[in-house]
Amino acid sequence: MSTAFPMNNKGLLRPLNLRQRTILLIILMSLLVITILTSSLYMDSELLSTNFGSKNLAPSLEHPFGTDWMGRDMLARTLAGLGLSIMVGIFASTISTLISVFLGLFSSMGKTADSIVSWLVDLFLSIPHLLLIILVSIGLGGGATGVIIGVGLTHWAGLTRVVRAEIKQIKTQDYIHISRNFGKSYVWVARKHILPHLIPKFMLGTILIFPHAILHEASVTFLGFGLSPHEPAIGIILSESMKYLSAGYWWLALFPGLSLLIVVLAVDILGENLGKLMDPKKAHE
Amino acid sequence: MKKLLDLLLIFVVMIGTVSVLGCVDVSGKAKSIDTVASDGLIAAVGTHLGEPQDGFNPITGWGYDHEPLIQSTLFKRDSNAVVINDLATGYTISEDGLTWTVDIRDDVKFHDGVPLTARDVAFTFNTAANAATVVDMTMLEKATAIDDNTIEFKLFEPRSIFIHRLVEMGIVPEHSYTGAYGQNPIGSGPYIFKQWDKGQQLILEANPEYYGQEPYFKKLTILFITGDTAFAAAKAGKVDIAEIPSSLADKNVNGMRIVSLDSISARGISFPFEPNTGKKTPHGHPLGNDVTSDIAIRKALNIGIDRQVLVDGPLNGHGQPEFSGVDKLPWGSREAIFEDGNIDEARRILSQAGWVDTDGDGIREKNGVKAEFTLLYPASAQERQALALSISEQAKKMGISIKPEGGSWNKINALAPSTPVIWGWGKLDSSDLYFRYHSESYDPANWNNVIKYNNSKVDQYIEIAMTSSDQDMANENWQLAAWDGQTGFSQNGDAAWMWLATVNCVYLVNEDLDIGTPLIQPFGSDILGNVVEWERI
Repeated sequence: MSTAFPMNNKGLLRPLNLRQRTILLIILMSLLVITILTSSLYMDSELLSTNFGSKNLAPSLEHPFGTDWMGRDMLARTLAGLGLSIMVGIFASTISTLISVFLGLFSSMGKTADSIVSWLVDLFLSIPHLLLIILVSIGLGGGATGVIIGVGLTHWAGLTRVVRAEIKQIKTQDYIHISRNFGKSYVWVARKHILPHLIPKFMLGTILIFPHAILHEASVTFLGFGLSPHEPAIGIILSESMKYLSAGYWWLALFPGLSLLIVVLAVDILGENLGKLMDPKKAHE
Repeated sequence: MKKLLDLLLIFVVMIGTVSVLGCVDVSGKAKSIDTVASDGLIAAVGTHLGEPQDGFNPITGWGYDHEPLIQSTLFKRDSNAVVINDLATGYTISEDGLTWTVDIRDDVKFHDGVPLTARDVAFTFNTAANAATVVDMTMLEKATAIDDNTIEFKLFEPRSIFIHRLVEMGIVPEHSYTGAYGQNPIGSGPYIFKQWDKGQQLILEANPEYYGQEPYFKKLTILFITGDTAFAAAKAGKVDIAEIPSSLADKNVNGMRIVSLDSISARGISFPFEPNTGKKTPHGHPLGNDVTSDIAIRKALNIGIDRQVLVDGPLNGHGQPEFSGVDKLPWGSREAIFEDGNIDEARRILSQAGWVDTDGDGIREKNGVKAEFTLLYPASAQERQALALSISEQAKKMGISIKPEGGSWNKINALAPSTPVIWGWGKLDSSDLYFRYHSESYDPANWNNVIKYNNSKVDQYIEIAMTSSDQDMANENWQLAAWDGQTGFSQNGDAAWMWLATVNCVYLVNEDLDIGTPLIQPFGSDILGNVVEWERI
């Protein structure tokens, strides 16, 4: 992504320097995501109800994304679905971060702790992601909660591995050895010397898990797990649209699919640019 | 991350391409049927509830609610549901109703050339009675061949509904019947089994020795595709007839016409009849529902829901309002039909019974119980999803909150004794009513009397109807079970279920195909039931 912003200034954002552009992008992307989230949270449920008088309408000013086979407005459904996706994303990245903070610091506390953590990480990485999500969400009785927790509980492994590697490197530093020699406990060292170094990594990791989580949520609901087929979720909308492609209702797939792409891209750009601010060395790569 | 984005881009481009292709009209090529021999027929009709898991074996259920094509049956029904002879030439019932004697024709041969005799018929029925299958043969004690052309059926009890079993059961050959019969069936019906590509198609060829009307189509290919896939095949001109969802029935396809057949395939909601007292079913699932066990809720919904709205909207106009689940059948009661869509009356019933909205959230309460329940529908059934949503929206106006929820059949099996479900029923068989409303038929694992309905008067009428050997008397008692002036399972009485609508069978049919007078369409359809009459014109 960083190659998209070469040092020589050109294009729309010419008058701004790299830092200004970065901040501007962060603000724009956050606004977009927050707008989608709030509009889905405060949406009038009437907008999602059926209206059999206006079935299968192509996009128009009244229904910018068209309507589906029950006359439901696709813009409202897409927004509601994206809202769910973003909620899943937020929840999954928060859970994943908490788990990886805990496991990462735990792994710094000695050889046995470290092997336990790396064994856990290997275990979770060896099971296909999607399968694990489906298993967990069915185990929790399905529904939106099942999907959210399922996605949340399966994305921490990668981040934990990164954090563990970082910790291994930090642990070779002199000040760690000195602290230990002064008789400070593992917990004290982990809290005072290791955690502060890890904060930028966690922030970034959290944001980068986000698009993964959203895409997984879309895949799981696309496959028909978790939510009822009448509920708005991007995966459900896309899988339903497949049934109407032969009838020529292209808008059912195109706009929701594009919207999903835009949200994922937005979060990704957000993460990249935050990374530049927090880890200035990376900005010049 | 770069890889992720690339993947995403590919995904979107794919969706885009498919969408654009989707709107290109390929129906200009619809006349490519001429690649098919004119005496061959290709049908994408989802065939009779789909591909049979156990093969085309009548004993495991093939053909039990539709024409088996490969086998022949003792009796069949004409397009008015009147029972007519097929293999049989007539039947008599003894005075006590325990012995049925059926005479059969002597000129029938199986596809392998061996004559079909009374022994094959007796063998078929005895085997079916011993094998516990979907075909209910519990009333049959023994079938015996008296001579080559006469079979005697001994019943445990008199049963008027035994005639339905004689209509349903395809006759299999005693000399070549094995466990693998369904994979390579031999029968005596109008079509000979040629080939079964599992998951894809069934190929049949006309039986030159057939004793009935000679079929015009010499080769019959049945594709196991449904829904939008069948629609796409029809649009591409690859099939002569395709069963399509009614939601796609508005699209014009070149060279094809829409045929929308009335059916007796009804959709209805089961209301668990007992309150939830913590009891469990034999399988350990919760039993009863505190909201639907109140007759006021059931009556209010029955009266308040506008069934015409359900037909016009969710069913896209392809259906008819339904009030008792058997409105159109000889055993359906006219008394069970009533004026619906009366929201004021529904509100009055609810208020009178003590269901009042006290906390102003738009949902009524009574003794601290909110008038709300979950309404389950099978996630795979599109029309039931739409019905559930529409009912939920209508019920809101009465102050009842219904939360639709799609689920797998596993989930529905577990929840049905405690949660209302949208079901699909519709057989030309009055014993359906026994399995739905008789208290002793209660068996939630098999969906029998899943609501645990219990009304001794209704039980009595059903028993008389079941055991009488006179069909008219049986029908009269089936009707009394719905409403006898004082009680019954229909809206006037206990309002045990809420019936919504019958769902038409909708087909895209090639313009040069004449499908004669179709039979009555049961649940799962029986479009090929009269295929011997079909012609290309």
